[in-house]
Amino acid sequence: MHIPDGFLSPPVAIATGIASAAVIAVALNRTRASLGLRQAPIMGLTTAFVFAAQMINFPVAGGTSGHLLGGALASVVLGNPWAATLAMSTVFIIQSILFADGGITALGANIFNMGLVGIWVGWWLLQPLQQLLGGSRNRLPLAAGIAAALSVVAASVCCAIELAISGTVPLNIALPAMVGVHILIGIGEGVITGGVLTYLVKVRPDLLPGEKPQLQKWLAPVVGVLLISGVLSLFASSWPDGLDSVAEKYGFKDKESAAIENPTPLADYKVKGLEEQPIGTSIAGLLGSAVSFGAAFGIAQLVKPKDV
Amino acid sequence: MSKLSIPFRLRLSLTIVIGIGFMKTGAWLWLGIYGAIALLWSFWLRAPLRTLAQLLGAELLFLSLLVLPQGWERASFLLLRSLICLLIMNSFLLTLPPHSFGIALKGLPLPAGLQEIVLLAGQYLEILLAEVNRMKRSAQLRGLSGTGGWLRYASASMIGALYLRSLDRAERVHAAMMIRGYQGSLPTDSKSTPKERLWVTLAILTAAGLTIASYSNWA
Repeated sequence: MHIPDGFLSPPVAIATGIASAAVIAVALNRTRASLGLRQAPIMGLTTAFVFAAQMINFPVAGGTSGHLLGGALASVVLGNPWAATLAMSTVFIIQSILFADGGITALGANIFNMGLVGIWVGWWLLQPLQQLLGGSRNRLPLAAGIAAALSVVAASVCCAIELAISGTVPLNIALPAMVGVHILIGIGEGVITGGVLTYLVKVRPDLLPGEKPQLQKWLAPVVGVLLISGVLSLFASSWPDGLDSVAEKYGFKDKESAAIENPTPLADYKVKGLEEQPIGTSIAGLLGSAVSFGAAFGIAQLVKPKDV
Repeated sequence: MSKLSIPFRLRLSLTIVIGIGFMKTGAWLWLGIYGAIALLWSFWLRAPLRTLAQLLGAELLFLSLLVLPQGWERASFLLLRSLICLLIMNSFLLTLPPHSFGIALKGLPLPAGLQEIVLLAGQYLEILLAEVNRMKRSAQLRGLSGTGGWLRYASASMIGALYLRSLDRAERVHAAMMIRGYQGSLPTDSKSTPKERLWVTLAILTAAGLTIASYSNWA
């Protein structure tokens, strides 16, 4: 998933570069206090470990290979997504500058996709999943494995969107191709992450987060909504709903009026250009959930009493 | 082996690579000039040709898989550009003195917080690779070699064991460094001499000139 030079347009490269630099600055600020004597070797070694692990590709279908991204694994081992952000960013900087693995002009995008999205999606999914699976430390490897797999897919979606915005490849080609391959790579990532953590849970549980991780109140419902709208929506029935079915059966379906032209690019829960792709339903679901949440939050802010 | 200091060599290499990275795609003449500079640089550093060729071959195979779907003309430019970048950086890496990878990384123009991580990562990468070799050797001594031997490395428990063994050593190394007065940086020769600074400035100006020229309609 390392984007080489020449694949991204300057605006996309600059925007992702600025976003990555901003998050790295925040991460440096957040970890400066927590990086004690005990943490420094773990941080350095985890960085080296992810760097080495990314050099080993495993085969996936269709003559393609993938490698561990390690974002979710790093965030669990370090117990802090901000520290993991720094470790992963360091890996991508070394890879890009010293080994030409990922372009220099695309460094911001690579850090954004594999570092930030890969880490934070994994971290946000990990805690609700662990709670969902019973909350014990023994469930951490399974939760982390699932979170790691989904984080790889999320990173590939971002990568495909960046390539499409840059005009390198159309979205209806990039998105299914990238997501299809990275679902397989994600399975590999999940297996490796889960396996490594299973070993660490048995041998060095002191390195890992405790039994009951601090779960932010908003995290579980938000992650639940995103999983339903983004993943479960793929399995929705394609049959017509009750009214559509009756209309078809009794022959008044053709009275459906197109008098008011609907300008939405998300008609029928599809994304323009991705009408035939299941991923279009996922994106429409995620966007719909985000808009609904934003609208509800805005209304709540307007109507809540001033003294609360 | 070159007499130039490691940070100076790194800065010069980076200047050329970053200049190439920001070039306009399809500017063949300017890429050719950068290619000549890269060859001179590699010759100056006296990089071992055989190892360099092996590394470049392996890395180009991976790169070609990525860029070939872009069409021949674009792909060949991107490949050549990557080849020149790889030639410069591999020449630098292959001529580093032993155990100085971490010190070399310290020369990267990064914020202090990231520099410490980079330094430790560079140090611990050597520990990690040494641990891999030890585990490999002990596996061979136990008769675990042969055609299916790679399966061992696909075992996540082995990866976990590798991580823990390396961590134990890393903690010992870190404790030893602390006892010797380590406080987040090594006593490296990162202070540039005025002559080195002048050369780096000249290199930056040259690279900037070539990269900006690649966007002009000339050639």
